[in-house]
Amino acid sequence: MLRRDFKEMLGSELLSNTGGIIAGTLLALFSNKIELIPGLLILIPGFLEMKGSISGSLAARLSSGLVIGAVKPEIKWSHLIKGNVIAAVFLALCVSAILGLTVYGALLLIGINNFSIVLISITAGVFVNLIGIPLIIYHTFRIFKEGHDPNNIMGPFVTAEGDMISIVALLIAITVIV
Amino acid sequence: MRKKMNKITKHAFNRLKAVEREKHHPILHKLHARHNISYKTLFYMKEYGPHSHVAANIIKESIKILILTSLISSIGGISLNNVQAKLLTILPLIILLPAMNNMIGSMGTIVSSKFTTMLYLKKVSVKWWTSPELHKLFFTVLAVAMISSVYISILATGISVYSGYALSSTIALDVLFFSLVSTFIIVILIFFISVTGGIFIYKRKEDPNNFLIPIATSVADLGSMLIFVFLVGLLF
Repeated sequence: MLRRDFKEMLGSELLSNTGGIIAGTLLALFSNKIELIPGLLILIPGFLEMKGSISGSLAARLSSGLVIGAVKPEIKWSHLIKGNVIAAVFLALCVSAILGLTVYGALLLIGINNFSIVLISITAGVFVNLIGIPLIIYHTFRIFKEGHDPNNIMGPFVTAEGDMISIVALLIAITVIV
Repeated sequence: MRKKMNKITKHAFNRLKAVEREKHHPILHKLHARHNISYKTLFYMKEYGPHSHVAANIIKESIKILILTSLISSIGGISLNNVQAKLLTILPLIILLPAMNNMIGSMGTIVSSKFTTMLYLKKVSVKWWTSPELHKLFFTVLAVAMISSVYISILATGISVYSGYALSSTIALDVLFFSLVSTFIIVILIFFISVTGGIFIYKRKEDPNNFLIPIATSVADLGSMLIFVFLVGLLF
């Protein structure tokens, strides 16, 4: 039992850590942007946390629905998928706006006026949804169709994928705004 | 017979939908006993069934905890901002940052959900520190975390060298030491939060699954950022 737990945990950890390292490499490639935009380093941990929580919950809800039979294993614009997508988009926009405003407030306290950080946060929130939500829905259904329990697989997948998409979305937002 | 059964079930679901969430679904037990429908299915249908407001339900239940956890993580970001100059000159540290964040999230989720299950199965008593199950979980998680820590350190230094960063053996060893020490402290922190928080929530007759994971991961995130900043200041 202990050995099985160890193997399962280690496998999923190494997978999600690889995603984290890819995200870190992307961040390192654009480290000059961090220097250019004050407050970006304050925004990143909260943004990663937000994306992980929203995507994780979305995948968990869909997985539960598929496993108990409340959701049919086919991707259709159903009542449940529509509700989940609306909620995920709304939550991401709302929380990214609050995060952006918090970072803006923190910067004001140290005498830096940089409103673009709010715009970067909201724009990145939009891009995260555009890229992330379809991927999460597609993979949850596909994993289920292949005969696996998405609950066991989507956790590490969501964290690995979430980190990479969040960093890419932030970089796209910086390119658009700055 | 089947038609009648469907009618009864539909009526039962309609009654279930009308029950306020705060009342802990008293009708769930009756429905479960009478129609042999699992608790998970009943709860899922109540929250996300055909006539429910799926988006509104999700937003209402998630928004507060999401804002709280994201803000806690941002406090960690403020401390990171203070060592920005050092962080940007040591490439392996920037590569490590999201991976460490990721590892904390996964560890927090594993420990919180496993500890909650232990509480439900009564495998943990009031004297939680004497529980053999908890000891096993601690050492398993610690071993996995330490191996992961070595893995991400090697990858981060390897990628740095490959991208042309002039990495001395001292910095490479410092990165490895830094990663191992941070991971060790974070695992202890995650266990402390999960165990004390889990017991507190469980005693209040709430489901720790709903609160413990976001709280444990965000507090551990904050703790890890502070450790990160402290060790960066100390080692580099």
